[in-house]
Amino acid sequence: MTRLVVTGAGVLSPAGIGLQSLAAQISGHRGVPRSRSLDAGALCTEGPPDAIFNAVADFDVRQFLGRKGTAALDRQSALAVVACGQALEDSGLCVNDDNRDRIGVALGTSWGSLKSISDFVKESLLADRPYLVTPTHFPNTVLNCAAGQSAIRYGLRGINATVAGGRIAFLNALEYAANALRCGHADSMLTGAAEELTAHTAWAIHASRQEAKPTIVGEAAASFVIESFDAASACSRHVDIEVLSVSTGFCPGSRKPERVSACLDGCIRGVLKEAELGARDVTCVATCEAAGADDLHHGIESRAVAAVFGQTQVERIAIGSIFGECLAATGALQMGVMLALHRAHPRRDGQFSVMTGITRDGGYGAAVLRGWCRRGPNRP
Amino acid sequence: MQHVVITGLGPVSSIGIGIAAFSEALAGGRSGISPITSFDSSGFPHIHAGEVRNFRPETILRHLDPSAAGRSTLFAAAAARLAVEDAMLDLEALPSDEVGVVIGTTSGEPTIVEGMTAQLLAHGFGSVPGEMFRQSTADRLSHGVSEELGISGASITLGNACTASNAALGYAYDRLRNGDATVMVAGGADSVCRLMHAGFHRLGALAKDECSPFDLRRSGLLTAEGGSVLVLETLAHARARGAKPYAEVLGYAANCDAANIVSPDVASIARCMRTAHRNTSVTPSEIDYICAHGTGTRTNDLVEVRAIRDVFGDDMPPISSIKSMLGHTMGAASGFGAIASALAIANGILPPTINFTSSDPALGSIDPVANVSRRARVRIAQNNGFAFGGNNTILILGACV
Repeated sequence: MTRLVVTGAGVLSPAGIGLQSLAAQISGHRGVPRSRSLDAGALCTEGPPDAIFNAVADFDVRQFLGRKGTAALDRQSALAVVACGQALEDSGLCVNDDNRDRIGVALGTSWGSLKSISDFVKESLLADRPYLVTPTHFPNTVLNCAAGQSAIRYGLRGINATVAGGRIAFLNALEYAANALRCGHADSMLTGAAEELTAHTAWAIHASRQEAKPTIVGEAAASFVIESFDAASACSRHVDIEVLSVSTGFCPGSRKPERVSACLDGCIRGVLKEAELGARDVTCVATCEAAGADDLHHGIESRAVAAVFGQTQVERIAIGSIFGECLAATGALQMGVMLALHRAHPRRDGQFSVMTGITRDGGYGAAVLRGWCRRGPNRP
Repeated sequence: MQHVVITGLGPVSSIGIGIAAFSEALAGGRSGISPITSFDSSGFPHIHAGEVRNFRPETILRHLDPSAAGRSTLFAAAAARLAVEDAMLDLEALPSDEVGVVIGTTSGEPTIVEGMTAQLLAHGFGSVPGEMFRQSTADRLSHGVSEELGISGASITLGNACTASNAALGYAYDRLRNGDATVMVAGGADSVCRLMHAGFHRLGALAKDECSPFDLRRSGLLTAEGGSVLVLETLAHARARGAKPYAEVLGYAANCDAANIVSPDVASIARCMRTAHRNTSVTPSEIDYICAHGTGTRTNDLVEVRAIRDVFGDDMPPISSIKSMLGHTMGAASGFGAIASALAIANGILPPTINFTSSDPALGSIDPVANVSRRARVRIAQNNGFAFGGNNTILILGACV
């Protein structure tokens, strides 16, 4: 089986822009780091009461991409496009006429941009005539806008996919990208996910919660250059992460939480088996839900992780606790955090980690990763 | 590498629900276009679309609760149930990790987002029920299929816009070919909605009351809806259970224009076709039929024919557009194309391009199978799908040897 590796990352998170801000956010805290609350200001003026917003602060797409071609980009696409550009740069993968047909894109999403879709409908409903909508906003209503815009910006003509999966969308995209690489549809895949913070996503998150605690709404985008180990080696690109296995699925009858736990449990064991590892080989587990398992999933994920890793000493990173609910971007942040930790700490070289995810409807997924820093003797 | 075959077809369309009704309507050149009823079309100069009338999901679905899902999810789940019935497949006889679902869509659940928007305009965000948000995400489409079929394996929704079901079928083919699965239920779904109707009208791409691809007087597309789901399985599995395949999936190619978010690109589409032919070891002269993307807009049809001519030369096989009958079913469109291609191979009937009155000199000499279906031997068929975002996917089907 072709070995697949990550050779570069671009991450925009509530911690800031770039991997260093991500590492700084995580390091210096023992256990679960605390989230940094940011005023989302104009992003979300009609948000739910008592909600806390973790936005990518001061993000202005024009600072990264200039004015040309950015006027009609919605926030979701802008975040994704910038993350993809940073991943290419971090990897050192130069796009040119010799390779652009072989570089693909796979991005995860929930709705595309729910705000763009809803605002377009609103425009039609309120206009003097229902067709007097802004034509340049129409493409923003389609699910694959971010992936298409990323391809346009960097001239990526390979296979281009958008995978809708909510919280497991990045794992879905990772699985899709792995297939595309192994089947020879592409040599490199920009693989990521994005979720914008808007009143629409804030209310969607808020409305699906059952407990009284304030809703913590996040946003983020992250993208990774994934290619075969052989291709990365041939071009002397750094191997940051090896993706040993990834699998996603859906659990019918998901109104019974124990069923979803059992499905995720089986999925984690499956990806470990495929990676030829046992639970004891794993150093770190990154979950998507908040620590304490008190969020809308009622501990489904924690239960599965406890069942697999119960007696072993694993470090736990709960992405929901650090950034708030980032929906489709959650999985991309999990990988971003793992990569940032490896890059910052040579002592983590060669360590194995597992990332897991579930959606409230019964989607589940897991992946096994292994990482290294970019300096030091312990190269893969 | 496993051979991959199509053993079940599940169309839920404006011209027929279920394979018997659909294939008869397709061969009969029937139009599924009618005045819009699914949203208030007052104020729109053009008020026709390809809506699925008489869709009663409760008569088809066995497990999914119709009140707990949006229209696109119900189309997908009903189409999947019909495809599994057509394949005479007992899913319970298979280990759950050997069966997967992949559904393509352009807009996911647009009618739910439209309802949500009307609600928040009238009474504010706080009045939108949680269940509405919950049903609005696009992953509901594949999850609804998995729920309906009781499948606990892979279940993903691809949002590759109007080429999404070709992309879904391609991904399903890959998983089967590599032995990652034994059976894949794959296709697409979308719903007629205000959003698409307004957007395409504003782009000047919407026809008035009929869609006439490749015709000199073609004036645009008509928005439409439905579910188009196919059962794909390994040839070994189909043989072992005595199933008779409609066609074999020979392979596919997908690429991206990386140029303009809405306009198709001749060179890019031609590249995608060439890659598809190379991936399947098929030469243009071996292709007996092209099921066109054929939206009926002036630009699409011109770009598509130019790309085909670039690859095939002047020796082009018949090229017909079933969108002349169905309208543009968006994320379901290339799934219907795949169903039509599989039927052309299995039954030896080319579906027509209806509403054809006069040739367009700009397109040169083509055979659009004008107005009336025709008997022909189809050994290999090419199914085209293009989309916003510059996504192209070309699927190649062949007769089972």
